[in-house]
Amino acid sequence: MQQLIGLLFGTVVTLLSAGVAAAETKIVVASKIDTEGALLGSMIVALLEAHGLAVENKLQLGPTNIVRAAILAGQIDIYPEYTGNGALFFHLEQDPVWKDWTKGAAKVAALDREQNRLAWLAAAPGNNTWTIALRQDLAERHNLKTMGDLAKYLAGGGAIKLAASAEFVESPAALPAFETTYGFHLKDAQLLTLSGGNTSATLRAAAEGTSGVNAAMAYGTDGALAALGLTALEDDKGAQVVYAPAPIVREAVLQQHPEIAKLLDPVFATLTLETLQQLNAKIAVEGEDAGAVAAAYLKSQHFLP
Amino acid sequence: MTLIRNQVLFTLVIAAAVAVALSGFVGYAPNRLVSGRPVSLWAAASFPATFAILAIGVLLFAACFASRGRPLHYAEAGLAVALLLLVLAAAGQAASLLTPGVRPAGRISLGAAFWVLACCSALAVADALQRLDAGPALRVIAVAAIVAGIVALSIAGMFDALSIVREYATRRQLFADAMLRHITLVAGSVGPAIAIGFPLGVAAARKPALQNPLFAVLNLLQTIPSIALFGLLIFPLVALARAVPWLAAIGVGGIGVAPAIVALVLYALLPIVRNTSAGIAGVDPAVIESARGMGLTQRQIFRQVELPLALPVLLAGLRIVTVQAIGLAVVAALIGAGGLGTFVFEGLGQYAVDLVLLGALPAIFLALAADFVLQTLSTVLRRHG
Repeated sequence: MQQLIGLLFGTVVTLLSAGVAAAETKIVVASKIDTEGALLGSMIVALLEAHGLAVENKLQLGPTNIVRAAILAGQIDIYPEYTGNGALFFHLEQDPVWKDWTKGAAKVAALDREQNRLAWLAAAPGNNTWTIALRQDLAERHNLKTMGDLAKYLAGGGAIKLAASAEFVESPAALPAFETTYGFHLKDAQLLTLSGGNTSATLRAAAEGTSGVNAAMAYGTDGALAALGLTALEDDKGAQVVYAPAPIVREAVLQQHPEIAKLLDPVFATLTLETLQQLNAKIAVEGEDAGAVAAAYLKSQHFLP
Repeated sequence: MTLIRNQVLFTLVIAAAVAVALSGFVGYAPNRLVSGRPVSLWAAASFPATFAILAIGVLLFAACFASRGRPLHYAEAGLAVALLLLVLAAAGQAASLLTPGVRPAGRISLGAAFWVLACCSALAVADALQRLDAGPALRVIAVAAIVAGIVALSIAGMFDALSIVREYATRRQLFADAMLRHITLVAGSVGPAIAIGFPLGVAAARKPALQNPLFAVLNLLQTIPSIALFGLLIFPLVALARAVPWLAAIGVGGIGVAPAIVALVLYALLPIVRNTSAGIAGVDPAVIESARGMGLTQRQIFRQVELPLALPVLLAGLRIVTVQAIGLAVVAALIGAGGLGTFVFEGLGQYAVDLVLLGALPAIFLALAADFVLQTLSTVLRRHG
């Protein structure tokens, strides 16, 4: 009887350790629960799989804090993150370094390497930062292309009603940063504040002219802008934190599979603002599957056969 | 007022008529992000479909004034089932009729008049069954007829042009996985909750002194908002997975299925313990006394007398926790547990209402189905008990 128990126990231990070994060889790819997360995550999955690596798909895992907690706990191995979120992760919101494209990316990479043994791969040139989007008819009539143009338009008594979340209006890094950099000030009557509102709600308000709204808080790479007849203003003086998307990988996994960087870096290098807008639009506006959009793009760029 | 013999049906018919007259049956939007422009029933559906809906509406309206009797209620039930299926078919037809004039990104969604008509017909079916004092067999037949009709319409491709079905079409595999995961989460939490809650409930019935502290703890758990409880479980479970490597190997961790199931079990405990204890305590002491007089042992009394008599209350508890778990499991998508909530939150992020519905409607149907099955089961058991 004791022998039998010993045998059973031995088998269970062997099976479990086999399970551990199998779990370790699979690369767990995750993403945030949003359109761009699904798009970039699908690209990572497709590229790793095409290279013959075993992948576990945990895309659309949850909001930023959950995905971040998961990679810190070692439950996922790789996911796309934004360089500017380093301000949030390391409580350095006041540091001006996040407004600088290369220095911000280098800073977050260094901090994550030292403190969390996470590696940041090359970031895309697209910047998914806060911006203000105007109705196209308004932008064309007054030739408004940059935030500077908007400041001049406002100084000349131009009519604006901006739909934005409370966070965008109050957070010093968002609207107040635009106001100080470009020298304008929006009064309460020129704002429609949606507490807890996201960009889809604000964009829709501007597109449909709800309560006279003609401008909306937006993200740079948002796919919905063109479809909703909106155009994003350019932040030509760099008032905003740069949010460039980049894959982050656990160092242990990257050491085992150093080819991951060679696979992903050239692809992310092609993801400009316009490309991301177009690809996001296919998912958000036309309702196509993120995996299919990612695969089609990778094929068209000859990253996949 | 005595002229109207069925005031429930009368109210339903009037509500449906007002909705059809004043609001859109379907909505037409140039893409899935903007709100749809409402299109009325007669403008959207074909003439025969509109006419048939109107005709059934008139017949049901007339039925409100007819003298009562079983044949009338059978007729009402039949007409209401037919109306429900007809309304669904008309929506699908309207979508395919409007689609050719729509750009590829254009969407036809279900409008207010559709939802009111569908709900009123479903309620009319329920009202007729109520008046017939329908047993489980008749109810199962009515539900089976509706389900069979919907399945037949979907196989015929009747709904393919509707926006919500197009959302489904781009993620068939994801939907199947999410549905399966949702059911796994519910079954995986209700099972352990019964295993823990049933003995606790019996103990509470036997020792009333235990009730106050036990229910205080369970009530407290119930008041924690679900999203907060899911979040609170991340760190203890991460620590547990670190301490016990083989748990981590089988997938236990701070995110994913493990915290979702733990949270769902905690929420399920209160209804199960409360109903078990109420059911057992509610058995007439005289019955137990006479069983004891017949020479039954304590164990025999529990299994042959108390348990069968308490069963309806126990099943009611099971119904509550199952329906509750199906709803709460939607929120579990936020901690990486997957399930139908994935579509709800993805849709909320994109402001794509039909994607939200793709997650929400199946969850509602799962809850209704679970409720119906458990209710039928409990009626059958009561009749044979």
